[in-house]
Amino acid sequence: MDSTDSNAGGKVFKLDKSKCIYCAGCAAVCPASCIMLNETRIECDEAKCIKCQVCEKVCPVKAIKIVK
Amino acid sequence: MEVKLKNSYDAIVIGGGPAGSVFAATAAAKGMGVLVLEKRKEIGAPVRCGEGLAEHWDAGKIPMKLPKGATNNSFPIGGAALFGPKFQRLEVRNTESKGWVLDRKVFDKALAMQAGRQGATILPKARVTSLVKEGGKIAGVKFVRMNEELEVRAPLVVSAEGMENLIARQAGFSAVAPLYDVDTCVQYEMVGVECEDLIEIYFGSAAPRGYVWVFPKGKDSANVGIGVGGLTDGMHGEKGQPDPQGYLDKFIREHPERFGKATAVSVQGGVISVGAPINEFVKDNFMVIGTAAHQVDPIHGGGIGLAMQAGYYGAKAAIAAHERKDYSKQSLYPYETEWRAAAQPTIDKRLKLRRVLEKMNDDDLNAVFDNLDNKDLEKLLAGDFRPVVTKVLAKRPQLLKVVSALA
Repeated sequence: MDSTDSNAGGKVFKLDKSKCIYCAGCAAVCPASCIMLNETRIECDEAKCIKCQVCEKVCPVKAIKIVK
Repeated sequence: MEVKLKNSYDAIVIGGGPAGSVFAATAAAKGMGVLVLEKRKEIGAPVRCGEGLAEHWDAGKIPMKLPKGATNNSFPIGGAALFGPKFQRLEVRNTESKGWVLDRKVFDKALAMQAGRQGATILPKARVTSLVKEGGKIAGVKFVRMNEELEVRAPLVVSAEGMENLIARQAGFSAVAPLYDVDTCVQYEMVGVECEDLIEIYFGSAAPRGYVWVFPKGKDSANVGIGVGGLTDGMHGEKGQPDPQGYLDKFIREHPERFGKATAVSVQGGVISVGAPINEFVKDNFMVIGTAAHQVDPIHGGGIGLAMQAGYYGAKAAIAAHERKDYSKQSLYPYETEWRAAAQPTIDKRLKLRRVLEKMNDDDLNAVFDNLDNKDLEKLLAGDFRPVVTKVLAKRPQLLKVVSALA
């Protein structure tokens, strides 16, 4: 597994795809509405991210890391 | 598959879950042109739900029969067993706890097919990206399908988006659930778990501000899951790092008598509102139905029935609005009035009960479970708190402050 597959996203929203079960819990609670589930892909519009880490906290499988 | 899309419909529904499909079937049956846009490739999958549904939602609480085949592959349930921290057991068998553990892949598809049979157009793999406005008014949506950007018009847009209610937020609804009012959940579909015809719910520190559930899908298989509060701590005291999977794995590990022979065939998860429904359901040319509007039971996190109820009342209001050619907030408002009258009193009571339960530690919960009987449980669930509170306080007076909210 290459690193782009296991740790997707940009500079801020780091998603461990090997953990993600694409439940979209992160999208449900994101106060900036910048996360979206597209089939099996979680997408984050980092330009809108406010780095509040709510997604990181709520993720049931601890797949998200917000880099401040 | 090629779909002949029209440029405009009478209503566009975003999301093909139970709320969206019931809305679409009900509105289409009365001649409305309805388009359902579902972003997934397959309605009903992947599952992220305990799959429980009470029988009184079938031609009971709403005058709508479940379509044929909706409960195929489901497991009939006769009631619920609730367990305290020491596994003290209370059992209830009433109309609210009798029902099914569904197969959502079958159920959701059967409801969508019913909508299709009534004449609604359903489009899977169609993801709505934004609202279309005309003269400041909502007039349709833009969506992406098979790498194609399309636009479709309607005087009414219905959000049945579930917890990912991004378009409802775009429409101006305050619909982001705060962490305090959500549970974060993990569930395994397991085989090798012996089950009765009861859903099981386990309270206590095994699931901080939530519970572990065993929802049977057969005599030896079940959805085994957990929900923990969005603001709870991790397994090793990590502040504000809820860890449903860690807690669920621990529960399974610590009960080899029950799960020693079990193995998982599926892992699922999700985040569900256990707070109040959002503060408004309708605006001009727009309505929000189902879990998108946080229409979920704050105690058990169930939302299928409440979503169907919203789909039904929503469609009823939409049909009348369509006849008047008036899709204003005022014209759509009967949906909000009817749904709240039917569902909100129970939800408010359940929310009160949740807020009391979450203040209890294991000793408190043990006092409750040690001293209540099955009849008390039934009263508690029906919102008849007073006699139960008196009984608990007689044994544990220090709970006075905690339970006074129920008096």
